[in-house]
Amino acid sequence: MRVIACGKAVPEEQDIVISKDRQVSFDKAEWKFGSYDLNAVEAGKQIVEAAGGQLSGLCAGGKILENPKMKKDIVSRGLDELFTVTDEALEQVDSFQTAKVLEAAIKKMGEYDLVLCGAGSSDLYAQEVGNQLGELLGVPVVNAVNKITPEGDKVIVERALENEIQVLEISLPAVLSVTSEINTPRIPGMKDIISANKKPVTRWSLADIDVAELEPSREVVSTLAPEQADRRLNILEGDSEEAVAEFVKLISAELK
Amino acid sequence: MTVNKVWIITDDRNALGELCAGGRQLGETVSAVVFADKTQAEEAIQLGADEVYVFGQPSESVVIESYSKAIADMIREAEVNLVMVHASVSGKLIAGKIAAQLGTGALANISDIDVEDGIVVKHMVYGGAAVRTEKALSKTAVVTVGTGVFTALAKDPSRQGSVTEVNPELANTGIRVLETRPKQGEVVNLSSAKRVVGVGRGFASKDDLQMAEELAALVGAEMACSRPIAEGEKWMSKERYVGVSGAVVKPDIYLAIGISGQIQHMVGVNQAKTLVAINKDKNAPVFKQVDIGLVGDIYQVLPQIVAKLKEQKLVTV
Repeated sequence: MRVIACGKAVPEEQDIVISKDRQVSFDKAEWKFGSYDLNAVEAGKQIVEAAGGQLSGLCAGGKILENPKMKKDIVSRGLDELFTVTDEALEQVDSFQTAKVLEAAIKKMGEYDLVLCGAGSSDLYAQEVGNQLGELLGVPVVNAVNKITPEGDKVIVERALENEIQVLEISLPAVLSVTSEINTPRIPGMKDIISANKKPVTRWSLADIDVAELEPSREVVSTLAPEQADRRLNILEGDSEEAVAEFVKLISAELK
Repeated sequence: MTVNKVWIITDDRNALGELCAGGRQLGETVSAVVFADKTQAEEAIQLGADEVYVFGQPSESVVIESYSKAIADMIREAEVNLVMVHASVSGKLIAGKIAAQLGTGALANISDIDVEDGIVVKHMVYGGAAVRTEKALSKTAVVTVGTGVFTALAKDPSRQGSVTEVNPELANTGIRVLETRPKQGEVVNLSSAKRVVGVGRGFASKDDLQMAEELAALVGAEMACSRPIAEGEKWMSKERYVGVSGAVVKPDIYLAIGISGQIQHMVGVNQAKTLVAINKDKNAPVFKQVDIGLVGDIYQVLPQIVAKLKEQKLVTV
């Protein structure tokens, strides 16, 4: 079985700096792969461990993907090979443009059985790339997948809806977006990190995958920190009985 | 200003009222797409729809998402300006499939929409650290909307509208439902709770949560938690996790206990009328955005608070 796990390089959200005028800066941010994408990689690894086969990684994005640290980070989590599509134009793309690029890359990668995406990217979290990608590829597509069991040329999946679990039989090839609870991604050991260096990487440009034009679906007007509600900031300090008594008095007034 | 045609799509009857109201607010005409249950059609019209398409359920083994292509074809034919899909799990998939069919991207989980100068939406990005404002560029904009963005109108039994049953041919979709079973665990509706107690990493073990549960029981609050408690420690069910990828609460009062106040959590509680926090670290970010705060070790102060509230209760009863 050939499984393709998709991942996106994102800025570490803890490193985002908000300035006084609510502008958001990533200048000091480290880059990493989205935490939800790691669930897709782990799910893919578990499938090839159980059913045999190969796990390929696929990432589309800006120049940051060429950073050797990024390669090591994603490959050490269990990939057999990595494919990247890099272009400066891919730094600010919407979910449909991403789906188009992944579609073109997957077609160039050749035969595949399963494409896995995370629940959403850690930065924009539209949760739509997988859904759109499946439709573009014209294959079965399902989101919120909580369990995958390979069964010949099909997979049996459990899908977590709001109040029910759907058990679905899905013919391959297919695109699945997994939940963040489907597994706990393994932490790469020293051996994984060292062997990651030897795993093949195929680097493509947009031209290499025959993507000439990428029409955006939307124009970004602004990205601003949310306005803070005015809060009273009535902060009491200390474990003293007086502080606790005052605190209880204050919250009791609210609870009336 | 309104756009000409708005379509709303929902797999959840409870979302019908808000989406119909949103359609009325933004469009000249409102068409609703509902699934399986014909009784929803009349309700949709009373709530603001002008026409309703009811997609029948041919067999239990078919997922409703299989209709996406047929719905996309109807949307293209009708030259719809705006499609609003309920942001449920199925709704998100339907929106993505329809958008891709129309050659555009779905604008997801919007928190605000304006059609004064084109279709402009807002949604949270970077784990809640920012709100992005975007203007749709495609002929038909496809968005997903959660609850709480629009306010349902009162049902108007005198409203008239058309109801069309649609039963499109479905080619083999490659997806077959083998079984549908209720989700294990609890059904919690945090978003409607008036009082919520949230717990975080400040608790050292699952047993210690009892202190917070006692407080919650005393003041009649629902229990909630930060992501590490539900997904890392698994001390509480995922249904009780509040934050950017979890529930958003809007209670009269939210008590954050042992929660440091990372932005990812706070975006889920920012709409609380009163925010209260107890944390031993006075530099915790939570103290920058609360109404009432207590800097103290929860293991020291929580039992005292519970005891005092109990005393008060005895006095008032």
